[in-house]
Amino acid sequence: MANMSEEFMKSIGKQKLIDALKSMLLIRHFETRGEAAYQQGLVGGFYHSYAGQEAIQVAAVQVFGKKNWWVGFYRCHALALLLGADPKELMAELYGRSNGNAKGRGGSMHLYTERMLGGFAIVGGHLPIAIGAAFSIQYLQQKDEVAICFLGEGAVAQGAFHESLNIASLWNLPVIFIIENNQWGMGTHVSRALSTREKLAEKLAPGYNMKGYTLNGMDYFECYKGFETIRKEMLTTSRPVLVECVCERFKGHSISDPGLYRTKENLQGVMKKDPILYLQQVLEKENLLTPETFREMDKEAKKTVISAMEYANSSPWPSTATLEEDVYAY
Amino acid sequence: MRTETQIIEMREALRQAMDEEMERDKTVFIMGEEVAEYNGAYKVTKGLLDKWGPKRVVDTPIAELGFAGLGIGAALTGLRPIIEFMSWNFAFVGCDQIISNAAKMHYMSGGRFSVPIVFRGPNGAAAQVSSQHSHCVEAFYSNLPGLIIVAPSNPYDAKGLLKSAIRNNNPVLFLENELDYGMKMEIPVEEYLVPIGKARVVQEGKDLTLITHGRMVNVCKEVIHTLATEGISIELIDLRTIKPLDTPALLKSVQKTGRCVIVEEGHYFSGIAAEVGFEIMEFGFDYLDAPLTRVCQRETPMPYSKVLEAETLPNKKRIIDAIRKTLS
Repeated sequence: MANMSEEFMKSIGKQKLIDALKSMLLIRHFETRGEAAYQQGLVGGFYHSYAGQEAIQVAAVQVFGKKNWWVGFYRCHALALLLGADPKELMAELYGRSNGNAKGRGGSMHLYTERMLGGFAIVGGHLPIAIGAAFSIQYLQQKDEVAICFLGEGAVAQGAFHESLNIASLWNLPVIFIIENNQWGMGTHVSRALSTREKLAEKLAPGYNMKGYTLNGMDYFECYKGFETIRKEMLTTSRPVLVECVCERFKGHSISDPGLYRTKENLQGVMKKDPILYLQQVLEKENLLTPETFREMDKEAKKTVISAMEYANSSPWPSTATLEEDVYAY
Repeated sequence: MRTETQIIEMREALRQAMDEEMERDKTVFIMGEEVAEYNGAYKVTKGLLDKWGPKRVVDTPIAELGFAGLGIGAALTGLRPIIEFMSWNFAFVGCDQIISNAAKMHYMSGGRFSVPIVFRGPNGAAAQVSSQHSHCVEAFYSNLPGLIIVAPSNPYDAKGLLKSAIRNNNPVLFLENELDYGMKMEIPVEEYLVPIGKARVVQEGKDLTLITHGRMVNVCKEVIHTLATEGISIELIDLRTIKPLDTPALLKSVQKTGRCVIVEEGHYFSGIAAEVGFEIMEFGFDYLDAPLTRVCQRETPMPYSKVLEAETLPNKKRIIDAIRKTLS
């Protein structure tokens, strides 16, 4: 357990800490139930679970605030939930219904909010989008905003990563690239995909004349603290930043991936690092949470997700008459 | 009242369109390789840096993937970018951005986000630039719902269409041609727009409809001039917009003439001519008195030698042969 000063805990405040835990529980239940719905044939396409990585985006959204441009990739259920999308509209989207988040057109990998541009499903293809959002922020002189882009370590091998970091640094674009390194690009371990070994951000960023940070992505507190430092720095410098959050995904790459390339021991070890468990333990130790309250919170999150499923299940299918709508904007 | 006119080149018409739209809307900016300090590889953006400054006329590194995607991201977040590709050939390294992001975003997001952006630059063959610098990209991209594709053949249309493209809320691929940048024409000084989605009857005729777009319009003009001396009356149609295709205008002409030849600078296989021809067959079969014929670029990469280059591209002789065959 990392050493947290009482001062730091206080600076976050009890409410935020409890909210963080609530958000993490909501995400975990959403993913668990979403996968179950998939297994029942209620959800189609791909399903990429965020289970295990919750601490990262929960901390990021708390620290930066919703009013920024957020750019996610195909593992995007959590980000949409955190940025204020109703679990009901998200579940309805997974169910392919007309009142889904994207009218049943995007599905699991393409979710949106007013400030979330997606849900992009080509590995690395969203990094240029993020620097474009940062370009708008600079152009329109929205000085208190930044663009926040999440990517997996698999995207680091893409050409778009290089071009985006180069331009972002060259033009002082206020964008933070957060690599969520869960060690696996589908079934390929990072050691077989990247020539850079460990501390990806710290090693790669200097080549782009940028600052790089490594954070433990399983530790909410470390993420919170790290993002807070980075945010302050960005608002002063308006410079891009590269961050690596080292984390673990609890599930396969997608639902169709049984993860046979990982040993049982490996997975058991991984589960012990559960960011929810960890946050819960710290809060209980600090007397900010009782086991009873936790159970209630857990129950509440479960209830919310089950009611979202009921909503989705009873939602109308899109009318086929709408098929050709919205191909073009007016 | 007489309209005041000016005789200008294609590149100046394009420059005026961008300049006027930048004046009209502060969110419009131009970005691309050599567009600012160099004044444009083909001088289309000449003087714009001096007038509008480096914030709105932006030189990029050689990174089409990066700046094409940047433009899309900027379009999603409140700006109206004009992205210049020094050549559409170079845009292939960035085409995932156009295909996966620009074309799909509005639909995929359930109409939440739109992508008001123009990608423009020279398309097709220039003079002996060989296999990797001579692609016609309209057939690739027109396969994708969500994109608008425009290909002007003269300065008047180029200016009016580019202004419409910049104001459009969708991604517009604007295809110019290096060999046409110096083409001169008398056009109004006063502001005007040319609507997207409307073909133009370049010359009326009664014996046969000749359909083409882009640089081939001028080649076809020479053809109809030559055949007119033999008393053959040809109606020439310039598509101007490839997607959405102005099928009603094509059908109207074919209904009148009963015969049709389609000319395309790009290749035969899965080309624009194939699509235009099928639309006519599907909706105007009864109007036809003869099978449709097409003249396209032959199925070879572009060769360097000018002798071979002239042979693979549609030329006057091949077009006239096709017309005679269709009329016989």
